[in-house]
Amino acid sequence: MGPQHPSTHGVLRLKLLLDGETVKNVEPVIGYLHRNAEKICELDYYCDSLIYFDRMDYVAAMNMEIGYLEAAEKLLAIEPPERVKWIRVVMAELNRLASHLVWAGAFGLDLGMLTPFFYFFEEREKILNLFTEICGSRQETNYMSIGGVYQDFNDKIIFKIKQFLKQFPKKMEEAYSLFIKNDIFISRTKGIGILEPEVALSYGVTGPMLRASGVPYDVRKDAPYLVYDKLNFDVPISRGKDVLARCIVRFEEMRQSVKILNQALDKIPDGPYFNPKAKKSLMIRLRGEGDVYARTESPKGEFGVHLVGDGTVKPYRLHVRSPAFKNLSILPYLSRDVLIADMVAISGSIDLVFGEVDR
Amino acid sequence: MIEVKEIKPPRRIPFFGMISGMFTVFRHAFQKPVTVQYPEKREDQGDRFRYRIYLSTEDCVGCTLCEQVCPNLSITMMMLDKDNPRNKRKIYPSVNFGTCTVCRNCEEICPTDAIYLKGVFETSRTRNSFFYNPLELEKNEEEVRR
Amino acid sequence: MNILTRIATILGFLGHFPAYALAYLIETLVVIIFGTVAVAGMVYLFRKYMARVQIRVGPNRVGKFGILQVMADGLKLFQKESIMPSGRDDLPYKMAPVIVFIGLMMGFVFIPYGPLVWFGNLTVTHSDVSLVILFALIAIMPIGEILSGITSNNKYAMLGALRGVAKDISFEVPMMLSILSVVIMASANVSNPLDINGIVQAQSIPFIILEPLGFLIFFISMTARASFSPFDMGESDSELVTGNTTEYSGLRFGMFYLGLFGTIFLGSMIISSIYLGGYYGPFVGYFGFIWLMVKTLVLVIISLTVWLTMPRVRIDKFVTFGWKVLLPLSFLQLVVAGFLTLGGIS
Repeated sequence: MGPQHPSTHGVLRLKLLLDGETVKNVEPVIGYLHRNAEKICELDYYCDSLIYFDRMDYVAAMNMEIGYLEAAEKLLAIEPPERVKWIRVVMAELNRLASHLVWAGAFGLDLGMLTPFFYFFEEREKILNLFTEICGSRQETNYMSIGGVYQDFNDKIIFKIKQFLKQFPKKMEEAYSLFIKNDIFISRTKGIGILEPEVALSYGVTGPMLRASGVPYDVRKDAPYLVYDKLNFDVPISRGKDVLARCIVRFEEMRQSVKILNQALDKIPDGPYFNPKAKKSLMIRLRGEGDVYARTESPKGEFGVHLVGDGTVKPYRLHVRSPAFKNLSILPYLSRDVLIADMVAISGSIDLVFGEVDR
Repeated sequence: MIEVKEIKPPRRIPFFGMISGMFTVFRHAFQKPVTVQYPEKREDQGDRFRYRIYLSTEDCVGCTLCEQVCPNLSITMMMLDKDNPRNKRKIYPSVNFGTCTVCRNCEEICPTDAIYLKGVFETSRTRNSFFYNPLELEKNEEEVRR
Repeated sequence: MNILTRIATILGFLGHFPAYALAYLIETLVVIIFGTVAVAGMVYLFRKYMARVQIRVGPNRVGKFGILQVMADGLKLFQKESIMPSGRDDLPYKMAPVIVFIGLMMGFVFIPYGPLVWFGNLTVTHSDVSLVILFALIAIMPIGEILSGITSNNKYAMLGALRGVAKDISFEVPMMLSILSVVIMASANVSNPLDINGIVQAQSIPFIILEPLGFLIFFISMTARASFSPFDMGESDSELVTGNTTEYSGLRFGMFYLGLFGTIFLGSMIISSIYLGGYYGPFVGYFGFIWLMVKTLVLVIISLTVWLTMPRVRIDKFVTFGWKVLLPLSFLQLVVAGFLTLGGIS
């Protein structure tokens, strides 16, 4: 299954060893989208690295930016104002919705459902239009900056997000019912790709994949960053361990995201939208020294950034722990002795984004 | 304290779910299409939408901050023989739009607001003509003919 | 008065025998042209319906409402270079699309089209065994698909062909058994129950009311025959690129494409003939053909909705389903049909 195969997400290449229809061995070949992002970030100013993080997980750019900023702000000792934290939570959850919607659409296509894809993408399009309204561009937004955000929220934007949230659950449940009420869908997903929690933990799998195996691990709860400790939401888990469980966990996460958004939009406090210590004209003079690691919950799982500064305006070392890469490592284990059709379903359920795997 | 919510797949009636799904799909056939027929109609992009970089050579002081901050090295400084008392070195930014990622750092950092972005996005060019010199950056898109 | 005698009367100046011979030829040509146009319309309908269901607009650039889009696509395919894979088995590789296409077009000849206002009865072939011939012709099409898979020297095509074989053998038997029950029912009332026309005439009550189970089995089998989702494992595009048609391009690919849509249309016409009462309806003497088309269109819309809603069935699940569910059900249907016939209900 080469990098140009229509079902592979992005540029995944899978070497399959087949016995008839049964998959005997899978060997993922990655690196077709390798852009050397970590090294480039080491050659750039702290503020410039953000655009490369946008392009890592290009369907969840906000979460990536937050992951980097958590590390960078710790290193540079710049605390963002309270209002910025709330705004970041709103943007992260909106982007989590968008990311899960993309996953759902692509997963439906993997299984051969043509139509739900468009229903999910219609909703995602609304989110991206909101992003255009807020950030000035759709996907690679570069909205955040060190110690602040690019432009402030105003009442019109909050009203528009609320308007979107009002109609979103109904539309989502409608498309979800196309999935979950369909017997063929159930028969394609139930009992396929069973991932035991011990195996998942030993492979370093995180995010919805791990929660679908029954481990309630969510960085937003276990090590709260931003203002997630002030918000009331649940960590959905499922004991199904299979592809179906991953599907319903992701959909439940979308409901929780809506819940978070509704709370966060009401609670956004007034205040400045950037830290004056990091205002834009000073942004290439920021110096940091030390060694920090920050982890956040991206839609794919735990996203960690390791940042080492040596006192200059550029980082000495930057390492990214990308969840999709860790989750991909489980694919050969999961798709041993399954049919090709199941292998496609399993690789779809992992939610791979290749900007992030290859970096 | 972790609040955990265990979820189970919702109950469903075999076969009936498929039929209701078909009805859901069929009902959408009577909805208004959400796609926009692009060349005839355009979506409103919002007032924060930015794409094309513009330059005001009157205000530019040639401080090269934009060149430094550009993450992709899209901006390079260029000599331009123009009578501007504030720009003694006579250097102005030129932009290669082929590598520009619209990060807006140049706009943010510019001390005199000489570089600014506008929501003009119909800037398609051939591969070798993405390079805009300072004088072309001043002009509108229609005036820059290739 | 049927269309044959109409044409023969117009050509009467040629003498009796040549007029009829020419009339037969013209009639067959008309049907084949009708088949081609119907298939093209089917492609257009599919694209437009899919777009509407997916909240899009669909083709709207070529001609008014994009009606000429199919023709434009056909012309494009016609102009394209046929890229041949190396290591192919040349003759079967080239024959495969032709087999599919001819099998489809011949099928159109045997449908009882019913009367239309001035033309009279449009039915082309008045054979006593048209049902048997029709299904024999439809059974040719899988041969083309299998040939295309195993001769194009491609792993995806090979797997697609293997899946196609597995699929075909698992639904053909229930399909034939459900047809047999229809024949049994029809034999109570008419003397020629193997003629589709006879079956149509036997349906004072449409057979869908008398044997809904058989209708369901036949509908599923027809869906599988046309091999679109949920039974498109042969060409499942997320696993096997496009299955057996992977290595085809240009006009040959177009033939497969038309074969797919044509099978949906033909299958819908067969179902509406043998289960929904064919051309029967109010004013049958004038608008029989219209009634057939209306019923067919409804069935086509239902098929397309199924296509667009359902995910793909796994091949082993389908084989199990075919042998363990459809086959016993069709036997049950056979028994029920026998009892209904003996009881004199039909």
